[in-house]
Amino acid sequence: MARANSRQRLGPLILGRATARPRGRLQWYAYLSILPALCFVALFAVYPVAFSVRLATHRYVLTDPHNHPFEGLRNVAEVLGSYYFRRAGLTTLTFTASVVASVLAFGVTVSHYLNRPGRLAGFLRVAILLPWAIPVVMAGIIWKWIFNGNYGVLNALLVSLGLIPSYVSWFGNPILAPLTLVIAHVWKWGPLAAIMCLATLQAVPRDLYESAHIDGGSGWAAFRYITLPFLRPTLLILLILETVGGFVTFDLVYVMTGGGPGDATSLLSWFAYAEIFRFLDLGKGAALAFIIAAVTLGLSLVYVRLLRLEALYS
Amino acid sequence: MMRRVVTVAAMLVFAATAIPMQPVARAGAGSTQLTFTVWTFAVDTIKENINRFQTRVPNVTVNLTDYNWGQYNDTIVANFVGGSTVPDILYSSDHWLQQWAAAGWIAPLDDYFPQARELAKSFAPYAVEGMTYKGKLYGFPYYADPMAFMYNAAVLRQAGFGAPPQTWAEVLEQAKAIKAKGLVQYPIGFGFSLDEPFSIETVISMVYSEGGNLFDKDLNPAFDRAGSAMVKTIEWVREALRAGVMNPESLQWDGVQAGNAMKGGTQVFFITRASGLWELNNPQFSKQAGNFQLAFMPGATHETVGFVRFYAMSSNVPRRGKEALDAAWQFLNYFGGPGPDNNYPVVRRWALDFGLGFAQLPLFKDKDIRASFGRWVNVERLESIGQKHAKVKQGLTPWFAQWDVFARAELQKAYLGQQTAQQTVKNLASKWNELRRR
Repeated sequence: MARANSRQRLGPLILGRATARPRGRLQWYAYLSILPALCFVALFAVYPVAFSVRLATHRYVLTDPHNHPFEGLRNVAEVLGSYYFRRAGLTTLTFTASVVASVLAFGVTVSHYLNRPGRLAGFLRVAILLPWAIPVVMAGIIWKWIFNGNYGVLNALLVSLGLIPSYVSWFGNPILAPLTLVIAHVWKWGPLAAIMCLATLQAVPRDLYESAHIDGGSGWAAFRYITLPFLRPTLLILLILETVGGFVTFDLVYVMTGGGPGDATSLLSWFAYAEIFRFLDLGKGAALAFIIAAVTLGLSLVYVRLLRLEALYS
Repeated sequence: MMRRVVTVAAMLVFAATAIPMQPVARAGAGSTQLTFTVWTFAVDTIKENINRFQTRVPNVTVNLTDYNWGQYNDTIVANFVGGSTVPDILYSSDHWLQQWAAAGWIAPLDDYFPQARELAKSFAPYAVEGMTYKGKLYGFPYYADPMAFMYNAAVLRQAGFGAPPQTWAEVLEQAKAIKAKGLVQYPIGFGFSLDEPFSIETVISMVYSEGGNLFDKDLNPAFDRAGSAMVKTIEWVREALRAGVMNPESLQWDGVQAGNAMKGGTQVFFITRASGLWELNNPQFSKQAGNFQLAFMPGATHETVGFVRFYAMSSNVPRRGKEALDAAWQFLNYFGGPGPDNNYPVVRRWALDFGLGFAQLPLFKDKDIRASFGRWVNVERLESIGQKHAKVKQGLTPWFAQWDVFARAELQKAYLGQQTAQQTVKNLASKWNELRRR
């Protein structure tokens, strides 16, 4: 009886063949409801990607604007086979490995100290976030001035402390220039890592540390066997974010080094930009963008598989 | 309550009607709008020029946009490719002309203004060559200059040298002596930044000065031959850096930064556009004003690059119709030509107020300009360099701009010793041929 009543109440939603027409109407209504969102996604995601596929598989050189023959995967093959891709790829891998390691180390170390009680703890937790709140381009400009070879504050400081005999051309040196990018990147993104780690650390029960202390465990042992296991899921998330972030870094390069000196800081994203806007080869630029996207997607998938939070916690 | 609602509604209605009225009121009835894009140099003066133009030609309104010089070509390319902010009139350079014209972004002036070809007869030939693509004229000169070698004569005297260097070996010799006497740590500094379009003009000038050529008559690379002037130039820069007489920041500097080092007295030798001497010898800008002299480019032939920067008209203007074309002609004639009163109002002002070189030949006889230039440069030497030694850049093709960008990075690697000069010219030739085939 109750079942019959509920059927009556739900009406066309659960009745069979007899209610086919109203259900069709409802389906239309459902489709209409999501149509604006679909249009939005199509306009801002599907169309650009589809257009990029067209660019990558055709010859699109802007100095020859009316000639776009289909070239299949030739653009991809030419990009992959070029010396400059290999060079930019190696530079990108080195840069990404450096920033991932540095940001994680920064996050763990700083959060460890911020987690301690103290009068300045509240202030420091806010202050540490300031670099993260500054736009990347602004951060790049700040560091460009700090590292300036003629009037940079870092040179002045190091000379006044007697650590270097004369001003150093940070951006003119193919070994130091990539280092400046890593430092600026860590300054910009390290605080987020620190705050994420701090949030995790604050959830660690104090009793665990007290027990470790009572059992005679050292500070390092507490860190190794209590802090680090709790931090692992956060660190894995940061690993994904930083790997992808490092791989697609462009703005700092654009502002600070312009890919130089020579091609010492020419990352893959800069290489793609140069192919499009400097060499005016949209086809190769788009092909390169797909290669970068495929690599970052592949890396993300690997990391996501590792991210089995329950397993990690257990 | 009701009164408050009415008041707020009235304010909103007023705001809604007043805001869109503003630009119309400023533009004036029947005014043709022109958008004008420039690189960032003396923007206040450009605005004043625009105001004067609008007073003289009241039926045209000009809206100005400026972009950083180092990123200018990239930004303009992005604008043209994106299509949303294409200007009507814009600064261009012989560097980029063929690239822009081949892409159809800018329009040939003589297709729309038959009188332009006649007017071009009054421009210096190398400037006309630099503004011509496939026999069509694409611009009126904004300024034109030879690249020139300049030096701080006071420091040279202190070091015991009575005359500027005549060869590149002498430049190194004098620089080493100046450094050894502790007068200046880095006597040489050039603008070799990856963003600096003058970078390639500096290198080509050094190649020309040794009688070298970049290409043969069929545009095949000639610089990649063993012992070429280009190889010698690269090796010279490498040696200057290695010996610590060239500022290592040169690889990050544009011309302005290298010029600042000259003005501050921390540098002695510099290559830039000849009119750069106006600022170096101007006490308003330079601690060392009066000490700087223009020299012939060191080397066997003293030849150098003569270049032109010019006003181009985008293809957007013809699409907009006759009214826009009429406005564009009035603008071009006023800014790059003799103007309605036949007195070259803008070119003359750039020359008098900023010392900018010009390609408009009648102005070489202008007494005011000669007197004004005489205050900061040896006018006869400047004329001699411009007329006897300046040559247009070889290899101006639709792919020159891309090759130039590639060359800047490859040359830096050679300067840093990451690859040999021979490997560098081989890479440059290979890229040239690749771009040519494309």
